[in-house]
Amino acid sequence: MNFEFERFVIAMFDRAPPYILEHMQLVLIPLAIATAIAFPVGVLLTRARYRRYSGRVMGIFNTGQTIPPLAVIAVFFPFLGLGYRPAVIALTLYALLPIARNTLAGLAGVPLEVKDAARGMGMTEWQTFRQIEIPLSLPVVMSGIKTSAVLTAGTAALAALVGGKGMGAVIFAGINFFRMELILAGTIYIGLIALFLDRVLSFIEARMTPSYMK
Amino acid sequence: MIQLEQVKKIFPQTTVPAVDEITFSINKGNICVFVGPSGCGKTTILRMINRLVEPTSGNIYIDGENILHVNSDELRRRIGYVIQQVGLLPHRTIEQNVGLVPRLLKWPEARIKARVMELLEVVGLDPSETAWKYPYQLSGGQMQRVGVARALAADPPIMLMDEPFGAVDPIVRGRLQDEFLRLQQEVKKTICFVTHDINEALKMGDYIVVMNKGKLVQKGTPMELLSEPANDFVKDLIGDDRGVKLLDLTRAESLMMVPESYPVARDCPCFIDAIQPVKMALEVMMKNDSDVVGVRRGDKVIGTLSWTEIKKHIHRISGD
Repeated sequence: MNFEFERFVIAMFDRAPPYILEHMQLVLIPLAIATAIAFPVGVLLTRARYRRYSGRVMGIFNTGQTIPPLAVIAVFFPFLGLGYRPAVIALTLYALLPIARNTLAGLAGVPLEVKDAARGMGMTEWQTFRQIEIPLSLPVVMSGIKTSAVLTAGTAALAALVGGKGMGAVIFAGINFFRMELILAGTIYIGLIALFLDRVLSFIEARMTPSYMK
Repeated sequence: MIQLEQVKKIFPQTTVPAVDEITFSINKGNICVFVGPSGCGKTTILRMINRLVEPTSGNIYIDGENILHVNSDELRRRIGYVIQQVGLLPHRTIEQNVGLVPRLLKWPEARIKARVMELLEVVGLDPSETAWKYPYQLSGGQMQRVGVARALAADPPIMLMDEPFGAVDPIVRGRLQDEFLRLQQEVKKTICFVTHDINEALKMGDYIVVMNKGKLVQKGTPMELLSEPANDFVKDLIGDDRGVKLLDLTRAESLMMVPESYPVARDCPCFIDAIQPVKMALEVMMKNDSDVVGVRRGDKVIGTLSWTEIKKHIHRISGD
């Protein structure tokens, strides 16, 4: 492989930056969809009526996590073809598990006696959920979303393989043309994006955490 | 008044009833204590009264109204609920915790504030200092007090208390019990109180229900329980010091001899009040190295209480 500092500077400040927003999109859209699916599922699985299914559903999610993202893309390829959509779907599936798992853990971690007292005081099921279960489990849920975000930031590089764009395009171009500068620049930016998302979500998480849990 | 009629509860996936056809009633303004070993069904009974647990069969009435026909959330807002673990909302201030039920009942905000401050004072906490704190900033004893204040907030006629002083050390527990009894003199709530501690039951109860394995073993006043335990289970529960415990509940006047038979009453070396327990008489006798104390009502000497009379009484009640 070749490495020239000048080319690296060009890669860092000229070639790669246009892909930053694309890559962020590839992280945030699947993350939003995954949250929209995993959070309600996690909530349902902690309700008395559906609690007995929680093992099985988590099993499915766990299995999903063991499939390499490349394989997921391969599975969807015949139905969805190449491009942006299959990439988003694969990344969404990948982001589900940490969020669902933490939603379950967060809700299960709400002290029983607090829920018991709340119901005993005459709060309705919805009020107990909205005013007690949600605020007390939100920090744990947020940390699940954070885990997913960092995970997706890395995995999203593979989207470029099916024409899903993103920072992966820079890395794969570098691999194809034996240009170390491009590979390095793409990797650095993905790292920075992951770090940035981690910081931002940590900040939100801290803001949501009640003082007694800190 | 609370009435239970043939109330039975069998939990799902069990065959033995947790509560087996229990019938009794609690009068307005009384403290009824449920006592028994863990798993005897006492907590289940409590939780059936505010419908956190639904009975398998039987009926429960509050002031003649069948509670199974009332919306359970609205029912609970009319019943104070105190549990051992307190269960304060950790993310809310003490002010918000105590104001919980009034807020559910949509009281005006100013009235809630005033009520919370008043109640914190009542349970012995400094309102200006405590109201803005979070539960984790309080001691165990303070949390229990907040738990009681929260249950009293909307002034419910009925209170359910499940080992409310169980999680604090014995000294604080004793103080909380005394304070609560004093408070009860003013508020006159109808109270169901659950404990596994027979001494707490004897101290707090106007009426005691002894339970074992879901069955009602004996019901009666503390005096009745001590003087006529229904069987060995109740005897064991009360313990070997039944006689001494009884002396704690017996007023001096009930064992004293009238002056005609004891003309020397005025010459007694020491005196106690007529309504004080016989146990106090013993204490005074020991301190003064005397076999007899004078009994006074106000300033008037009305009789004497002698060591012989007390001994005879203990023999009479223990009978064995």
